[in-house]
Amino acid sequence: MEEEKKKKLLGLFRSKLDRTTRAYLDVCTRCGICNDACFAYASVPKVEYTPVWRAEVVRKIYKRYFKRMGRVFPFLGRGTEIDEETMKQLYEAAYTCTGCRRCMMYCPFGIDTQAIQSIAKLLLIGNESAPEELSMLTDASIEKGKSLDLYKDSFIQGIRNLEKEVIAKWKGASDQIIPLDVEGANILYVALAGAHSIIPAASILNAAKENWTLSFFEAVNFGAFVGDPVKTQIIAKRIIDEAIRLKVNEVAICECGTAYRVMKHLVGKQPFAVSHVAEVMARYLKEGRIRVTKDRIKKPITYHDPCQSARNGGVIEEPRYVLQQLTSNFVEMTPGKEHNLCCGGGGGLVALENEEFREKTGKAKVNQIKETGAAIVATGCENCNTQLKFLSERCRIEVGVDFLTNLVANSLILE
Amino acid sequence: MTEEFKTSKTMDLKGLACPQPVIKVSKGIKEIEVGQVLEAITTDPGSLADFPAWARTSGNEIVKTDQESGLIRFFIKRLK
Repeated sequence: MEEEKKKKLLGLFRSKLDRTTRAYLDVCTRCGICNDACFAYASVPKVEYTPVWRAEVVRKIYKRYFKRMGRVFPFLGRGTEIDEETMKQLYEAAYTCTGCRRCMMYCPFGIDTQAIQSIAKLLLIGNESAPEELSMLTDASIEKGKSLDLYKDSFIQGIRNLEKEVIAKWKGASDQIIPLDVEGANILYVALAGAHSIIPAASILNAAKENWTLSFFEAVNFGAFVGDPVKTQIIAKRIIDEAIRLKVNEVAICECGTAYRVMKHLVGKQPFAVSHVAEVMARYLKEGRIRVTKDRIKKPITYHDPCQSARNGGVIEEPRYVLQQLTSNFVEMTPGKEHNLCCGGGGGLVALENEEFREKTGKAKVNQIKETGAAIVATGCENCNTQLKFLSERCRIEVGVDFLTNLVANSLILE
Repeated sequence: MTEEFKTSKTMDLKGLACPQPVIKVSKGIKEIEVGQVLEAITTDPGSLADFPAWARTSGNEIVKTDQESGLIRFFIKRLK
């Protein structure tokens, strides 16, 4: 590797070294308690899938270049040179980790593997070896923010074409079935690109007689998946600017765990509240603003807690409240809530060509689902939904996978 | 629908959820020659903003977009 590039990569590494991250890199005793916490290692017990191995790849670079022993006596320490082989190991470490942070729950020191892997991801960006798909999607999201006026009219037309499907679920009368660009709206609902993320939520918001407006931007933040802190903020800022321009009180994020976590925890204080759509639905149900038919689905339903909205975002009880209004036959996964096993689809992994890896490392999740005896797994995250459907097909488990919003919209009692 | 473009490849992306349509098109475009046209059919309304944004960042050109009965057809010319 050229010295110039090495210097650039070390500069990127240094940019991540605040006191907390230094502590994460310094204090690991390799006790191995984290190992079984990882969904990948729990499914395929390879040392490369342990959180500690993933961290060590980064830690060895830290020891070589940022610790006195490594700098003065590089041949004595346990550090590693930055070279192409190390970059390959960084890729393996960063893109077999979903950043679910379950290992952090069990680590006696609370070491945050996601924070350590964010260094790996930043070095991969600097080395121009980050996954092409994620980089491309990140740049397209930023471009959309820059040139919205070019796409606005055709997007509006596309949304108008969806309205018939909303009316089919919600038979109320309104001038706007999917409102756009409403200044002074109470809620800005930020969906994903697909109709499945817009239609059920629109039906629910309309049934609650909410004063809402749909965002022109998709909620997902590919900058966070690829680990680029600057681009993560640029992508989030599109939505923040729209919310401020429209003077909304609340930004409700669709069923996308990372989008929720970025907007809730990673963009600083904003002049609006941030909620996950599950929180909005729970509120409407508690306040009697929407009503649902109970036990439309007779078979047992379980809930897969998305790591980013549950363990890392605190949205744990609201989805359960929603499901308990829909069914008398709700069954918990074990372990569940903040201890739930990751499905293996997060961190952008579900967008990559890694089906064999995702199938093998999803085994622990599949077993967890089977043990519930549920016929339906509900979840509140697009990545989880995609991965769970993939596992259901590949592992031939007879379980349906559905979004919370879809389950609620299909059970709405319309006045 | 009248096809004004000779398409070299057609991709059926109906029913695919975000971000698969854009990922598949970005791969599919590499399978045709520069100057040729790829037809991509989606049902995802978000693609109406996502595809043009991707085309601008990837240096390709959307020469035509049709919307018909819930189907969205993009004709994308590979420029490089």
